[in-house]
Amino acid sequence: MRFGGSGGQGVILMGVILAVAATRDHRQVVQTQSYGPEARGGYSRSDVIIARSPVDYPQLIGLDLLVALSDEAAHRYGGLLRPGGVFIFDSEMVPDPPALKRASFGIPFTKLALEETGRAQTANILTLGAVAGLTGVVSQASLEKAVLSMVPPGTEEVNLKALGCGLGLVAEEWRR
Amino acid sequence: MELWHTHLLREKIDQDSLLVQGNRACALGALDAGVRFFAGYPITPSSEIMETLARELPLVGGVFLQMEDEIASICACIGASLTGEVALTATSGPGFSLMQEALGYAVISEAPLVVVNVMRMGPSTGRPTTPSQGDVMQARWGTHGDHPAIVLAASNVADMYRLTMAAVRFAQRFRTPVTLLADEVVGHMRESFSPELAGRYRLTSGDFDFTETYIHPEMVREVHPHQLGALRHPHVTGLIHDETGFPTNDPKKSEQFLYELHDKVVHHRDELCLYDIKNEGRGRVCILAYGSCARSARAALRLAEQEGLPVEVLHLYTLFPLPVEIVQKVARRVEFMLIPELNLGQYAREVRKMAENWTTVVSMGKVDGTLIAPQEILERVEELVGKYESI
Repeated sequence: MRFGGSGGQGVILMGVILAVAATRDHRQVVQTQSYGPEARGGYSRSDVIIARSPVDYPQLIGLDLLVALSDEAAHRYGGLLRPGGVFIFDSEMVPDPPALKRASFGIPFTKLALEETGRAQTANILTLGAVAGLTGVVSQASLEKAVLSMVPPGTEEVNLKALGCGLGLVAEEWRR
Repeated sequence: MELWHTHLLREKIDQDSLLVQGNRACALGALDAGVRFFAGYPITPSSEIMETLARELPLVGGVFLQMEDEIASICACIGASLTGEVALTATSGPGFSLMQEALGYAVISEAPLVVVNVMRMGPSTGRPTTPSQGDVMQARWGTHGDHPAIVLAASNVADMYRLTMAAVRFAQRFRTPVTLLADEVVGHMRESFSPELAGRYRLTSGDFDFTETYIHPEMVREVHPHQLGALRHPHVTGLIHDETGFPTNDPKKSEQFLYELHDKVVHHRDELCLYDIKNEGRGRVCILAYGSCARSARAALRLAEQEGLPVEVLHLYTLFPLPVEIVQKVARRVEFMLIPELNLGQYAREVRKMAENWTTVVSMGKVDGTLIAPQEILERVEELVGKYESI
């Protein structure tokens, strides 16, 4: 699966947290990333492979899940989704999503995060909750532990709130 | 086991799972192998090694120094080494270039130390965030003069941990700098692995004995300081020297010195050359690979098996000294040796020298900053096997 967005959105951290959660679920996991030389802005992506046996080739050939937090990511990587794959995107950042003939969910993550926690920075954790809730790719218990182990000290409560909001999203409301 | 892997096992995220970043695994391997001195200068994609050691070394009574550049970094490591420490530094291509002169000084003064080079695309500043294997021949011949080199290559996170330990051991045993090569993908990736199962290596002399007795933090502390205390006037020099440590211009002594330097490494290939073979003895094509390309090779082997193509994979963990015995053994039984690497065929030239009497060596280099996909290797294999069928 791939998380794509721009630098500063916490895209790489999303991949790392998901990788920790999947490891807790006793899967074999490889997480890689690719980013431009800028600290903010520029493209950023984080890839996670979850398997039952050790992973040889560490890069993605096709996608089962794409999470796009920028318009560029949606259009650049959308074509890599395999049949049966799932496309989740931030509906405010991606106003004109590619028509993919895949299960698609458009959710205003940043807006929801602001409403729920008052902090736009929690949008990535909220997104992770939505990913787990909509796809079941990792267990909720493992994801919660992974979030708690990775977020900065003092932000546990607000991040758990964001996670809970994401997990509680109802698929049918957001399906595109 | 528990004691031996102290730093690694602290990373466990629950009972039996571990997810570690490659660069971090390298730092943990250094700590668990007893390295207590690091001097370096940060550079992408190796900085997390330095970052981890900056935090951890002081906690175990070690020394961490951020120097003004890479020249100073390796020189500080040589200084530490002369006092009996096994020192480590980490860098990437541009920094590795700066280190070359002092690397030769470490070779000639027989100072044990480990240099980790997490390769990125070069030359020069190149592309800092893309993988490459462009420094392979630099690791062998980057410093001037005839000299031995021990060069290891990591293909996954477990390698980053265990080969760092092996590098420490080799440096200590052979009193010479050891280079560990990784690349951006291996350094930055996070991967789950089991310390008990991952990274079993083979040697022509048998299995690589990675038990507590092989390397132990306490053992490293017993490295004897170089000459210090052994003589009344200890002397360390970059000049060719005799057994007193003082320079000599005597042709016979000079020759003897250089041969000793060379032979102490090359004559111990049977304990230095780590490798692994998949599908041993069943290939007409052998994919010879190292570093992240070995992962592509293994994935290609699976694809080849599905298609019934006769392929085996020789995965090298030691690039230098050249693993002559195992390469020639495999070369004798296969028709092709295919070498995928992220450069323009640097190691393929070395393999050609070793193997061309027995097999056809085919280089498959790639320099666009992406990994070689298993499918690309499979297509080359199909071509080679097809070529054979048509003859």
